[in-house]
Amino acid sequence: MHYATKSRLLSATALIAAGLISTTAFAQEATIAFASGELGATSYNPVTSSNLNSATSLIYDRLVEQDADQSYHPHLATSWEESADGMSWTFKLKEGVTFHDGTEFNAQSVADWIPDFADTENAFLVAAIDAVEVVDNLTVKFVMSRPEPNLLYNLASSFMGIPGAAAYDEMGDNFGVTGAVGTGPFKLDRFDIGLETVLVRNDDYAWASDLSENQGAAHLAQVTFREIPDQSTAFLELKTGGVDILLGVPTDFLQILKAESNVAVIQMPGTGINYMPINVTAPPFDDIKVRQATGLAINQEAIVASIYNGVGAPAHNFLISSLPEADVDPALDVRHDLDKANALLKDAGWIMDSDGVRVKDGTRLSVKLFTQNGTEFTSLTQVVQAQLADIGMEAIITVFDSSTIRDEYKENRHQLAVRGYDWNNSDILDWFFSGKRLGYPNVSMWTDAEGQRLNDVAMEESKNSEERIANFKAYHEYILSQHLFVPIYQPTTNIAYNTNKVNVPDPIRGTRFRAQTVLDITVAE
Amino acid sequence: MLWRYIFFRVLMLIPVSFSISVVIFMIVHLLPGDPIDNLIRVGSSPDDRAALITKYGLDQPLAIQYLRWIGAMFQGDFGEAIVLRRPVADLIAQNLPYSLALGGLAFAFSSIVGIILGTISATTRSKIVEQFMRGFILLGSTVPGFWLALLMILFFAVQLQWFPVSGAGGWSALVLPVLTIGFGGVALVARVTRVALLDVKREDFVMLLHAKGLPSYKILFGHLMPHALLPVVTILALRIGWILGGAVTVEFVFGRPGLGSLLIRALGQRDYPVVQGCLLMLALAVMLGTLIGDVAQAAMDPRIREAKT
Repeated sequence: MHYATKSRLLSATALIAAGLISTTAFAQEATIAFASGELGATSYNPVTSSNLNSATSLIYDRLVEQDADQSYHPHLATSWEESADGMSWTFKLKEGVTFHDGTEFNAQSVADWIPDFADTENAFLVAAIDAVEVVDNLTVKFVMSRPEPNLLYNLASSFMGIPGAAAYDEMGDNFGVTGAVGTGPFKLDRFDIGLETVLVRNDDYAWASDLSENQGAAHLAQVTFREIPDQSTAFLELKTGGVDILLGVPTDFLQILKAESNVAVIQMPGTGINYMPINVTAPPFDDIKVRQATGLAINQEAIVASIYNGVGAPAHNFLISSLPEADVDPALDVRHDLDKANALLKDAGWIMDSDGVRVKDGTRLSVKLFTQNGTEFTSLTQVVQAQLADIGMEAIITVFDSSTIRDEYKENRHQLAVRGYDWNNSDILDWFFSGKRLGYPNVSMWTDAEGQRLNDVAMEESKNSEERIANFKAYHEYILSQHLFVPIYQPTTNIAYNTNKVNVPDPIRGTRFRAQTVLDITVAE
Repeated sequence: MLWRYIFFRVLMLIPVSFSISVVIFMIVHLLPGDPIDNLIRVGSSPDDRAALITKYGLDQPLAIQYLRWIGAMFQGDFGEAIVLRRPVADLIAQNLPYSLALGGLAFAFSSIVGIILGTISATTRSKIVEQFMRGFILLGSTVPGFWLALLMILFFAVQLQWFPVSGAGGWSALVLPVLTIGFGGVALVARVTRVALLDVKREDFVMLLHAKGLPSYKILFGHLMPHALLPVVTILALRIGWILGGAVTVEFVFGRPGLGSLLIRALGQRDYPVVQGCLLMLALAVMLGTLIGDVAQAAMDPRIREAKT
């Protein structure tokens, strides 16, 4: 959207005039820099995009919201009911909600929106929904083709922000680029791809979720999201007031930020794990004892203390701690135990040689350790290398770019790798360990009849969320028993802000920094 | 005569562009990795992946894929980005103005300042000025752009607060990036100008002009410069292509969009149509630059146009 010069001049004049009249009033504005992981979005169309950023959640509301403890909260849906067989879901919708173009949000809006996903890359989100029935103006029913206990998780995702049907059809491919219509607390004012997104307050907003204190329109009249790829530049912008809030601050920047008197840092529990997959098809890792010993060599607590200054948490299994499926039999958690690791290797026939590297039948215990470029993994991989040396395993590091390393996995040229994922749902187990995805994402190259059976049960036969949790927990425990990877670290999500400019609620509600937090942000007096 | 020369040179661009398009296409497709992995997300099924490969025609033989791409290009269709989900032409059109503004200004700045500094250093008799110029040229050609960019930000934006740290809001945001890129260019242009002027100064006809009692400034502007500017024009023309794509690191540090940044992002995600589109644009710009350089030289020096036609 581009203003004509005339209106620009007019608004500039208006701004100056306003400034002359009341010089004491603070501009109710905030500038937010995106995290580096969410740069490069080319559209705010939640239905068709493959990459959405934080600003999306300010334009569109979702039926349900998810909190940091993974619980679900009503939003545009005030309540919901799943049938006993899991074959239908009925949602009661909030009354009095309107889209930015003034049209009413009701059951028909949902019925118009779900079919839009057909033939898009996001179709999997609604794959289990067979039909959407309008029961009455504010009641909508999803008829399912199979039970989908993960439906609420999908509905809470940014990709399921609800667009206004009329505008969506009218704008076509330009929806989300030149304009966007949702029911969210902010309206899209201007989107300069790769540079910035300007959002203005939706003054009619009165339907926030219970994750926000503020149930009315936002305190901020305008929010500008900026794309700043270089972390040092983003930090300098925060320091000089060019940016008020910095999303996704790297952990190694925290010390510098804390030294600034006008900067406060909020740490949110992260939504991912850094870990080391083990290729079970590449000797010596075809021997489960060697795999187990590799896991026991890694000292997660020492890594958190030395590399991350105690920020974040050690990971002892494959899922983030807030997921119920992470609560496995403690005996299966992977914990540092050098003696046991050394005993296992000896048992497997690997004898310590004079140069500190184990040998078996004339073969040295020397393995390839891959990682991808980017500061995130560099020092972590080096510490892992040092810890592996303690059990007599020589690890040789090779660094690849993120696209090339996937080819290495697919060609089965890897042994160990240091990598990370960001996902707060247990179906990540299917993603990384399903026998149908060998190479990548199944970097462990693991196929196993029992594993696949447990995967199928968890993915397809869970009728409701309790069953799903139990099934995924069983699958998770079986995966742990096979020693396919070494869990290392659970990073935090760090948000920094200028205390002279804004007040940001701490702790932040929700799984990520989103609309529910922005609603509560006030300008500092 | 000059028109015939231009016509001949433009005609040559057709086979050259064609060969370049083949090279670009092959290099991009032979890189390890593919765009689909950057498109699918957790929750999608293995079948979705296969369907996407078919949808984007990535399962077709490379020759077929190439013909489809080049065929569409002939109709002015750059194709649709796979990962970035927008028409490639739109993406280029969005980024091009930023590149042109930054690259164009940096080009103008480095040309003008470079020629002036080069001239001063070639004509001065002051040892101090000459030493200073040598130091400046050495520094300018060796200091890495990203480091200079950070220094510029720290001094002019953080300490003095004269300019914004980053972004592309208005003219003030252009100053530091233009100076950063221009700095290296100034050094290069100054060096070439200096060497060329010194060469010409040694020619016999210059001694004759001095002997005739012509004032120094008349010799400089009327006789030395026209000769010395030939190599300078060549260097400048070659840098025209660099205007579009040469600012990647500086764009990164200053948080500016641009063709270079688009290319790097698309390359990281193996978004083939975008990478191909950007590379072809850059190649065309370089070819255009060379063409302009050759034509300018031919216009300035009749010997060239006669030798080449």
